[in-house]
Amino acid sequence: MKNYWKRGEPMVMVAGATLAMVLFMTLTMMAVILGNSLGYFWIKDLVQLKLKDGSAVLGQITGSESHALTDEARIQLKVGNRDLYAQDFRWVDEQEIAGREYPDHAYLLERMEHGNFFGYLQGLTKADGTAAAADSVTLAALLHEVQQGKQGLKSIRKQMSKLNMASERLRLKIQKLDYNGAEANSAKIAALTDQRAKLTEQFDQLNNELNQKISELNKATALFRDADGKEKELPLTEIVRFYQPNSMSVFAKSGIYLIKIKELLLDDPRESNTEGGLFPAIFGTVLMVLLMSLFSMPFGVIAAIYLREYAKEGKLVQLVRIAVNNLAGVPSIVYGVFGLGFFVYGIGGSIDKLFFSHQLPTPVFGTGGILWASLTLALLTVPVVIVATEESLASIPKGIREGSLALGATKFQTLTKVLLPMATPGIMTGLVLSMARAVGEVAPLMMVGVVKLAPTLPFDGTFPFFHMDRKFMHLGFHIYDVGFQSPNVEAAKPMVYVTTLLLLVIVIIATSLAIRFRNQMRRKYTTSHF
Amino acid sequence: MPPTIVDKSRRNDRWAARLITAGGLFVIVAVIGILLLIAKVSLPLFYSPTADKLAAVPPEFASLLSAEPATAVQQVDLEEKGSVSARLLPDNRIELQRRLVERDILGTEKVSELKETLADPLPGAISAFRLGRNGQNLYAATANGWLLRWDISEQQARLADTVQAFKDQRRITALTTVMGEYSLAVGDEKGQITTWMPVRTPGAGEDKHLALIHTLPGFSTPVVRLLPSPRDKSLAAFDGQGTIRMVHMTSERLLLELKAGGPVVAAAFADRGRKLLVAGADGVSQAWELSIPHPETSLKTLFGKVWYEGYNKPEYVWQSSAATDDFEPKLSLVPLIFGTFKATLFAMLFAAPLALLGALYTSQFMSPGLKGKIKPAVEIMAAVPSVVVGFLAGLWLAPLMDHNLLALFMTLVLVPTLIMLAIFAWRPLAENTDFGRGMKGYEFIGLLPVVALGIWLAGQIAPPLEAAFFAGDLKQWLFSTLGVRYDQRNSIIIAIALGFAVIPIIFTIAEDALSNVPRNLTAASLALGASRWQTAWRVVLPSALPGVFSAVMIGFGRAVGETMIVLMATGNTPITSWSLFNGLRSLSANIAVEIPEAPIYGTLYRTLFLSAVLLFVLTFIINTAAELLRQRFRKKYGRY
Repeated sequence: MKNYWKRGEPMVMVAGATLAMVLFMTLTMMAVILGNSLGYFWIKDLVQLKLKDGSAVLGQITGSESHALTDEARIQLKVGNRDLYAQDFRWVDEQEIAGREYPDHAYLLERMEHGNFFGYLQGLTKADGTAAAADSVTLAALLHEVQQGKQGLKSIRKQMSKLNMASERLRLKIQKLDYNGAEANSAKIAALTDQRAKLTEQFDQLNNELNQKISELNKATALFRDADGKEKELPLTEIVRFYQPNSMSVFAKSGIYLIKIKELLLDDPRESNTEGGLFPAIFGTVLMVLLMSLFSMPFGVIAAIYLREYAKEGKLVQLVRIAVNNLAGVPSIVYGVFGLGFFVYGIGGSIDKLFFSHQLPTPVFGTGGILWASLTLALLTVPVVIVATEESLASIPKGIREGSLALGATKFQTLTKVLLPMATPGIMTGLVLSMARAVGEVAPLMMVGVVKLAPTLPFDGTFPFFHMDRKFMHLGFHIYDVGFQSPNVEAAKPMVYVTTLLLLVIVIIATSLAIRFRNQMRRKYTTSHF
Repeated sequence: MPPTIVDKSRRNDRWAARLITAGGLFVIVAVIGILLLIAKVSLPLFYSPTADKLAAVPPEFASLLSAEPATAVQQVDLEEKGSVSARLLPDNRIELQRRLVERDILGTEKVSELKETLADPLPGAISAFRLGRNGQNLYAATANGWLLRWDISEQQARLADTVQAFKDQRRITALTTVMGEYSLAVGDEKGQITTWMPVRTPGAGEDKHLALIHTLPGFSTPVVRLLPSPRDKSLAAFDGQGTIRMVHMTSERLLLELKAGGPVVAAAFADRGRKLLVAGADGVSQAWELSIPHPETSLKTLFGKVWYEGYNKPEYVWQSSAATDDFEPKLSLVPLIFGTFKATLFAMLFAAPLALLGALYTSQFMSPGLKGKIKPAVEIMAAVPSVVVGFLAGLWLAPLMDHNLLALFMTLVLVPTLIMLAIFAWRPLAENTDFGRGMKGYEFIGLLPVVALGIWLAGQIAPPLEAAFFAGDLKQWLFSTLGVRYDQRNSIIIAIALGFAVIPIIFTIAEDALSNVPRNLTAASLALGASRWQTAWRVVLPSALPGVFSAVMIGFGRAVGETMIVLMATGNTPITSWSLFNGLRSLSANIAVEIPEAPIYGTLYRTLFLSAVLLFVLTFIINTAAELLRQRFRKKYGRY
């Protein structure tokens, strides 16, 4: 085979190798994300290390490494108990370890604050001050009781927030009256102020009641000690969940795994977003994307129809088409800058001046919010919709148009009855692609309304239900914020990986859908050549 | 059909046509209007400042004009730290009087009164002198062009500088310190205005000496008075005929020229530098309301080297804010443009060969069944959000490489070597066995384990090698032997992460272009006896070249504007260094970092908008060129 080289077979192999490298990188990325996120909810066993200096450490093994020069190995433990040790992780040299065991009665507590606690149960105190047996059954019973009590508090909190909202509305009304002329409206203002005072009184009453109940609940405590014997008394209200991982079956652990996934999808975040759920971020992302499609879809489709069906083909249209095509390639940050300058400060500022001048300088619309964010992203994705719609219209054979027109249909009838139904998969492709892009876009959102923690959802039960001026949370920004701006990045990493996986799954599903639509479309109209 | 229905549908059609046209045009105009709107925000940076003459000096400021002290005596009030005053004696010496108050922790005051006559020999007659407003320096100038500086921060005044400022022995007529007390502004009888600051000169050790930094637009007649603005690094300069020029030190811009109509005997800034008051020799006072929103910006400060306060030479610097108010903003876009291109260039060097060869393989050699699976997979890759790539690069790859830097270099050597070996080993199998023939179109699958093996081997070999040759720590070795500083988030990370993000884009477009080359061209080539590689390389690639080129350009455009990856995977340090081991800051990441803190319509805010315009224009040009190329390509093969 002396012409193996001459015929360039090795070069084919080299080209194949580059593809192999690209695939390898992709697979590595997937493996890293899956490996780091799927394991997060699996409860690892607690190991207790006896060290040679006589102390003991209780924790979960999270990693190991060996030193290149000395071949000394060390393992990384997650020791939790942030309030006691100030650090979540600890490296332990292998040669320091005198013995390791997996005590059955070791507890893992998920807490409202300070991360997990690893330790042993010493004693339990009931709400009435009497001691109870220190075992997991009693703890479970007491915890259940306390959590039920906490559920009861919810209704009080709800009432309080309603009162608060009503009082705030009154405050704004008073402010407005004051702004329009304190003299003329003094009677009204006095009446409203009275009303507000009453509300405040009610609020204080409820608040007292709430505090009383909370302090009552807090009376039920559990006494834990860590591996070294340091004691820590925890009110049961602080505990979210507890397990004894070393005595749990695989089946039980799987159950917890599912519960945690449910928590991830449906609960609010805890511990400055590093634990708990992602619900507000998921909700914010979905709502923003839907709102965005509401803007970008009709405009994009109309523009495409104009370009393809109505505009006279010529230099100008060709130029416009190039311009629109290229707008899809303009950096997203530029759209963000535009959104900030035009929507937020320009339009938002004007709205504030016109309708909310009594509230200035506190901005209502003159600051980032979900409306501005979705408008900015709509602008960013309009070119995607235009290009996809145009392409699908262009791929419909001319004969179909001519046939329809020859039968006496007007252009508009041809469009709505023939062309649009045929182009639907293409339009859907554009829509889904634009949604996929919007879900993953972060840079422009940082300027026009995304925040790390939004106290309220943009959509809720209070009038007018949909609060377009509110700021919101977003999965992509969550990744950036928790991964790069949280004080304890190492402890937050697993959460970021989980968020990444979730975002990736959403994007991949959306894109696959779009690709499927498009392929359907192609198969329908392209005639095979050669 | 009844005529009414026909009429109705015709009417509908007309309305729809109008509506769609209007809607379509609206969208297109709106989308294109973006550029204009961003540009509109950034343009005021370059507008000329204005001044409105007020009808009279506002009475609340009138006292400022009368309080002008006699020129022979200057006093500086240091508030709770005491006061300093200087007096020019008739015998050409300066008398310095200081009242210094020191407080200890308990709050007891210790007051020391110091009085001395500066007896240093002087090169000429003193024509102007100036006490620094922080009481640290005393400046004097002579009638024959010398500048003197006494350091009066210690108990004993010390003559720190004696500089012959002008070789032509011109008379220096006005002196003042610029806001911040770092620079000295000098006006002379030729009408020139210059600024000077202490600079570390080569050969002079640790001592800093006054050096000429900026030459500002001056007059043709002597400068009689210089007045520093309390707001920024601007000066008001006066000549003997009552012409007033507002100039800015950093930008060397002539901001405004005002006419007082006659010689000025007193002048002051009021209202935090927003108003300028002057009193004429004829006893008439005038006042102007100044509107100078962005004095520190000029094309030179944005794109040229500027000698900033505290620096030893003119440099490109981006530093938008600091802890103090009298800070000189450094808004050079050059380090950011440099960072953008550095990141893009490295990323493209990494991505383009991989993506193009991969696309060539996929379109020409891969078995069609597999191709139908690989292409969508790559397209899905293109949709991976950049925040995901950035996160992995910053928090997974960067620490990993920090630990295994040598392994990365070993990979660069080992993987190609192993692939070469695999190609050699493959040769006898390729066409002699069924297996070899069957692998045609699937070669890359066989190479996947080879790549994995190379990386694994590199990971195994690197630690002992590092121990043997680099004392166990390559980064330390790099620093001590080559003087190279290694940042954890550096340009290699960016090249890989940004490259990884643009690979799918280049791949998809290039693959489309290559696949669209008419099959009858390849068929003809193959029929004439060319091998599959020869056909791909000599027939398909040249035909698809415009499309392939446009793929690279679109990838380039995407890399230029990418924000999140650069933001997360570099240290965002605005430095101009080509080193692979340093971080960088790109235009886009800079916008994301700084705009939340930029006061609306301030200089920084508008400068960031200007950088957005730059990005917009840059990507628009690149993408338009790519699109034109692609259209040409389509036209070329449209007839098949």
